[in-house]
Amino acid sequence: MNRTVKLILAANLFVLAVLAFVYPHLMVGPGKLIPGHNTLESDCFACHAPLMGADSARCVSCHKPADIGRLTTVGDPVLKPLTSTPFHQKLINEDCIACHSDHAGVKRFRVQGRFNHALLQKATRDECQSCHKSPKDSLHQQITGSCGQCHSQDKWTPATFDHAKLFELDRDHNTRCVTCHVRNDYSRYTCYGCHEHTLESIRRKHIKEGIRDYDNCTECHRNADEHDIRGEYGNALGERKGKKDRKKRDHD
Amino acid sequence: MTNSTSSLWRRHVLPFTFLLVLLAAATLAGDYLLHRLNLVWVGRYLGIPGTLLIIGSLVYSLRKRKYITSGNPKTLLTLHEIGTWVGSLMVLIHAGIHFNAILPWLATVAMGVNVISGMVGKMLLGRSREHVLGQRDHYQLRGLSKAEVERAVFWDAVTLDAMTKWRKVHIPIFIVFAVLALGHIVSIFLFWGWA
Repeated sequence: MNRTVKLILAANLFVLAVLAFVYPHLMVGPGKLIPGHNTLESDCFACHAPLMGADSARCVSCHKPADIGRLTTVGDPVLKPLTSTPFHQKLINEDCIACHSDHAGVKRFRVQGRFNHALLQKATRDECQSCHKSPKDSLHQQITGSCGQCHSQDKWTPATFDHAKLFELDRDHNTRCVTCHVRNDYSRYTCYGCHEHTLESIRRKHIKEGIRDYDNCTECHRNADEHDIRGEYGNALGERKGKKDRKKRDHD
Repeated sequence: MTNSTSSLWRRHVLPFTFLLVLLAAATLAGDYLLHRLNLVWVGRYLGIPGTLLIIGSLVYSLRKRKYITSGNPKTLLTLHEIGTWVGSLMVLIHAGIHFNAILPWLATVAMGVNVISGMVGKMLLGRSREHVLGQRDHYQLRGLSKAEVERAVFWDAVTLDAMTKWRKVHIPIFIVFAVLALGHIVSIFLFWGWA
């Protein structure tokens, strides 16, 4: 390679190096910053720590976690908050990059609008109503709390709860949740919430069959069919019925 | 059309054009597939194996300049050609996935020019080799074995005048590409979130 070519090459590469330092957002930046960070576009190290990437500590030097969702970085009230409830105050740690990316070219590879509930403190994570409103349908309007019984924090649907596995809500049991789940407490139920079942009638029927432990109805009964009996007593009754049928056949 | 023109077209220009068109087609197909399979993120990382393949293929250059003495130069040249072609394909798919900054795109353009230059070199080498092959009888007369004749023809071909002139163009193009690519890699190391 002759000397002139070497000089031309060196000069060109030098110019490019200078341009990279003067206009880093154009030369090396992965796309435009979000509009709120326009003024930082040529100051990479306002957000990036050398060799470590975007640094949350630098984010919170402007965005105080206590103010996020309430006040802007200059102390004015946030007029149109993006979420109904500020929640940054209740995060387990200050890892801004876990959810946020500023450069357009980086955003393209991120799933937008997905919030990882695991980043919330445990107490806040279980208080869904502090951030979410209940759906307006008739089922959800009857329920308060305990969202986690049916829904995961990863996805709202599919709901994970199948009532029929515990008890079929057939036409005889097409009733309001609160009839069985008093005060919308889904951790317990009662079968004496309607006029059909009374403690006295249930006791009489079970004693007649020699059953004394009948507090947990759904252990044996999973639907309105009183002959469809599950569990220990279901097996015992099945055996007794089998013996009766055999005796009847022998007798015949 | 004379016999020699027809031969030049068939044996050199056509394969050169085919490899170039294939590179462009494979890039477009790769880009399309990644989008179709929702695997665009893969393209983001294809630059790494692509760059490693290109760097690995430089073993041939070291062998040619006698910085290393082991390895069959002809095999290494074949690996150099395949490595740079596949590596360039990966880098092109990587570049096509996102268009953001100027520096990496300059590096991509320099790489493209480098690939074309390399293919021209391959074509010239083929021509030179044919020229030198005419001297095979001369070597055989000197009592050299077949393998020694092959090696002697290869070295004669790569040092032929046309190849020397081509190298004067190819090396600066490669240096530009290497420096621009290095700038891009350094900037990634500097700003990427490794934690």
